[in-house]
Amino acid sequence: MINSPICGLLGIEHPIIQGGMAWVSDGTLAAAVSNGGGLGIISAMSADAGYLSRQVARARSLTDRPFGVNVMLMSPYAGEVARTVADMGVSVVTTGAGNPSKYMKMWIDSGVAVIPVVASVALARMMERSGASAVIAEGGESGGHVGDTSTLVLVPQVCDAVGIPVIAAGGIADGRGFAAVRALGACGVQIGTRFLVADECSIHDNYKDKIIKASDIATVVTGRRLGHAVRSLKTPFSRAYLKAEYDSALPDEDLEKLGVGALRLAAVEGDAEHGCFLAGQVAGMVKKRQRAADIISEIMAEAEVVIKGASEWAV
Amino acid sequence: MVFEKIAEIIAEHLGLAADSVSRDSSLEDLGIDSLDTVEMVMQLESDLGVELELEGKISTVGELVDFVESKL
Ligand SMILES: Cc1cc2nc3c(=O)[nH]c(=O)nc-3n(C[C@H](O)[C@H](O)[C@H](O)COP(=O)(O)O)c2cc1C
Repeated sequence: MINSPICGLLGIEHPIIQGGMAWVSDGTLAAAVSNGGGLGIISAMSADAGYLSRQVARARSLTDRPFGVNVMLMSPYAGEVARTVADMGVSVVTTGAGNPSKYMKMWIDSGVAVIPVVASVALARMMERSGASAVIAEGGESGGHVGDTSTLVLVPQVCDAVGIPVIAAGGIADGRGFAAVRALGACGVQIGTRFLVADECSIHDNYKDKIIKASDIATVVTGRRLGHAVRSLKTPFSRAYLKAEYDSALPDEDLEKLGVGALRLAAVEGDAEHGCFLAGQVAGMVKKRQRAADIISEIMAEAEVVIKGASEWAV
Repeated sequence: MVFEKIAEIIAEHLGLAADSVSRDSSLEDLGIDSLDTVEMVMQLESDLGVELELEGKISTVGELVDFVESKL
């Protein structure tokens, strides 16, 4: 058994959070993760408040355990979904792609624990001051929107800078990764990529196949030119996008248009040609489909072996 | 005084001469992203001894100066 201050804080058994994933983590996946003893997170993605209320209701019909909602701050509906999170009394909110300062007071006043995803020390400090319960320090090896600094380098610096619990994300998919970030000072992990292949995850089968087949060098970052870097699998779409990015004759607006709808095409249609298959570098380590609960128990069991064995490394 | 301070911080951040930063400079054109902005705001807080709650998006150096001045 591995203990962690975030278990008490969030009312969960194992310190594993399933990261919010646009077009991927719905009420069904979140409930499966929470039933497995972790914390499931529903992605509010770029949908409206009606979508979010339905997913929260769905998760509540499948589990009595706590789960959270991820608010993507770039979403045009960020304001209304932020309100829904407070109104529906969701236990935890995580935020991605930006600075959630303007919603923090509303959430905290409604009793929602706020756990922002941060990719820098300065944002972590600002979030602690605004009343965050913990922060998720997300390294650039993650899938989805990414910062530049890697998990190995970011996590200890965030741990040194703040007094609240730090959860590590990016590049963690097994018990070794869990133990490694524990050694860096994190008291829990957020995992995205490995949950893509969970049985309860409803993405297209082609997507899951691509994750299972991915190698250690299977991902690439695109979108740096427009200021929103995204990590995804190397596919015809990402190669074409990368090429367009280096084409200085192509206006930014046209580049922006290239990406529209590509996430849906990957997750819903499994379109190998035009889809954008978000995934972390750790995809190369994800080799089998499993129930979400089994993913969690396997990681925890492996982590325990590594952490107990570590005492032999020093004499 | 706030402008000079901000220009100095930006220049140091980017390795430029302070006089190459003007009120009209866009943060994006200077190559400053949102994480850089948060970092500079935190540094301004400790240098100026104020609390700055970043809310809206700030696009130019002049907007950042006005925002900081409104909090002094
Ligand atoms: C398919 C996919 C979609 C994601 N979408 C979001 C999102 O909408 N909001 C967010 O904050 N993070 C998003 N992320 C990041 C995850 O929540 C998590 O932090 C990340 O996947 C952790 O790194 P890992 O992929 O190496 O496990 C996404 C990640 C993936 C793989």
